[in-house]
Amino acid sequence: MSYSAAFKDHLAHPRNVGELPEASVIAEQTNPVCGDRLRLSLAIKDNRIETARYLAYGCPPTLVCGSVLTELVTGKTTDEAKQITRIDLLNAIGGLPSRKHHAAALAIEALNAAVSRLL
Amino acid sequence: MPERRIYLDHSATTPVDPRVAEAMARSVLQVFGNPSSVHGFGQQARAAVDRARREVAALIDARPNEIIFTSGGTEANNLAIRGVCEASVAHGRHIVTSAIEHPSVRGVCAALEQRGWEVTRLPVYDNGIVRVEDVREAIRPDTVLVSVMLANNEIGTTQPVAGIGAIVRERRAAGQRHLFLHTDAVQAAGRMALNVEELGCDLLTISAHKLYAPKGIGALYVRRGVKLAGQNIGGHQERERRAGTENVPGIVAFGEAAKLAREELHERTTHDSSLRDKFERKVVELIPDVVMNGDRYQRLPHLSNISFRYIEGEGLLINLDLQGVAVSTGSACSSGTLEPSPVIRALGVNDEIARGSIRFSFGKENTGEDVDYTIEVLVQAVERLRALSPLNRPLAVS
Repeated sequence: MSYSAAFKDHLAHPRNVGELPEASVIAEQTNPVCGDRLRLSLAIKDNRIETARYLAYGCPPTLVCGSVLTELVTGKTTDEAKQITRIDLLNAIGGLPSRKHHAAALAIEALNAAVSRLL
Repeated sequence: MPERRIYLDHSATTPVDPRVAEAMARSVLQVFGNPSSVHGFGQQARAAVDRARREVAALIDARPNEIIFTSGGTEANNLAIRGVCEASVAHGRHIVTSAIEHPSVRGVCAALEQRGWEVTRLPVYDNGIVRVEDVREAIRPDTVLVSVMLANNEIGTTQPVAGIGAIVRERRAAGQRHLFLHTDAVQAAGRMALNVEELGCDLLTISAHKLYAPKGIGALYVRRGVKLAGQNIGGHQERERRAGTENVPGIVAFGEAAKLAREELHERTTHDSSLRDKFERKVVELIPDVVMNGDRYQRLPHLSNISFRYIEGEGLLINLDLQGVAVSTGSACSSGTLEPSPVIRALGVNDEIARGSIRFSFGKENTGEDVDYTIEVLVQAVERLRALSPLNRPLAVS
């Protein structure tokens, strides 16, 4: 399978790795079928995501989806973040084969879990 | 494309040796006759096939007329297992095999199971090795075939085939005349000395592309007297066991590769094992939390299977590939299934260790500098991926 240049770049140089000691919210989601895991930490001020960090275990698409997700949500309001879809994430990565779409779904689940905890 | 490219996946396939390529090219250009033709062109091709057959037989200490050329290891395994089971169906429908066979053995056994055969799959314990006494206990009066690989393709452990062969001979001498032993030696050929008499096997599979020859050609050794139902019907080739015009250039290449593998066995195995051992020493020295999969001693000289805790194999594989180092993994994602490698799982390890397994397999063109570079990029990649992993960090309550 060939990955996009953006994909390879995120894999070799993942953005926003880690956890936030002063996170407003931390959410972790696990794919029960394959065991992939994604932990998302968000620091939110005035309803806006100032900083996002992630940790991930799993196949390369899962690692890359976490990295891309942190870039997509940074600077957005929580309402705007809620609107981000699996398709937005896939487009930002440059696409994934359909059998790897679960990685994007896991990242969006982690985002939704984090944002819903704020409500 | 990275500047430096290092191939450490010789258990998947090997680069073609230039001497083998030359022999094949000569055959392609000069020996185009059909070996079944009576005229001179045909006889020239027949002679080339016969010469190659002698070399392949010599690699495993067999007689040339006990070699059947096939399209590769998978076809040879299919022919061996289906061929024996179908020919022996009046005597029983039970097969004994191991839990760590190649998919081409596993798949055929599963297909026969669907058609009414019973299959006993022996465990391999935490060292990845079948126990001879388990084979003895598993053989029943209606067992017609024992199929246990000589060396495993993922972890490289070598199986006690000679011990199993002794049991099979014992049972045959005691009256169970239709019990046969097959061994898949695809990974072992060219990596250890092979002698079908010492192994006591009745059928043995080898594949040329693991021996620095091209893909598309393999062989099945069938001991004289073994009844085998041919699976390719419609021609007299290969003593009626594998119909179809012979792949003459492939066979010639295989013959040359088998000759070189026999002549250079000591040199190649010494070279590969010294690189592998240097590599493993460095990994253990520089990378914490690694698990070496499979027995440390009873294994092939060129292969190392290591699980890197807290990370998943395909992520590591792609990271190494981006740096020009080619390896393989037993992770689920890589194989396109949801389950991690059944071979690593058969060692009794958990999913995380199975998913983090990487196979490094060395070959004759690798150098000490290749090992140094691989270690350098491996250490960086493991550190980078572990920095990403939530597995070694408890989740704080938020």
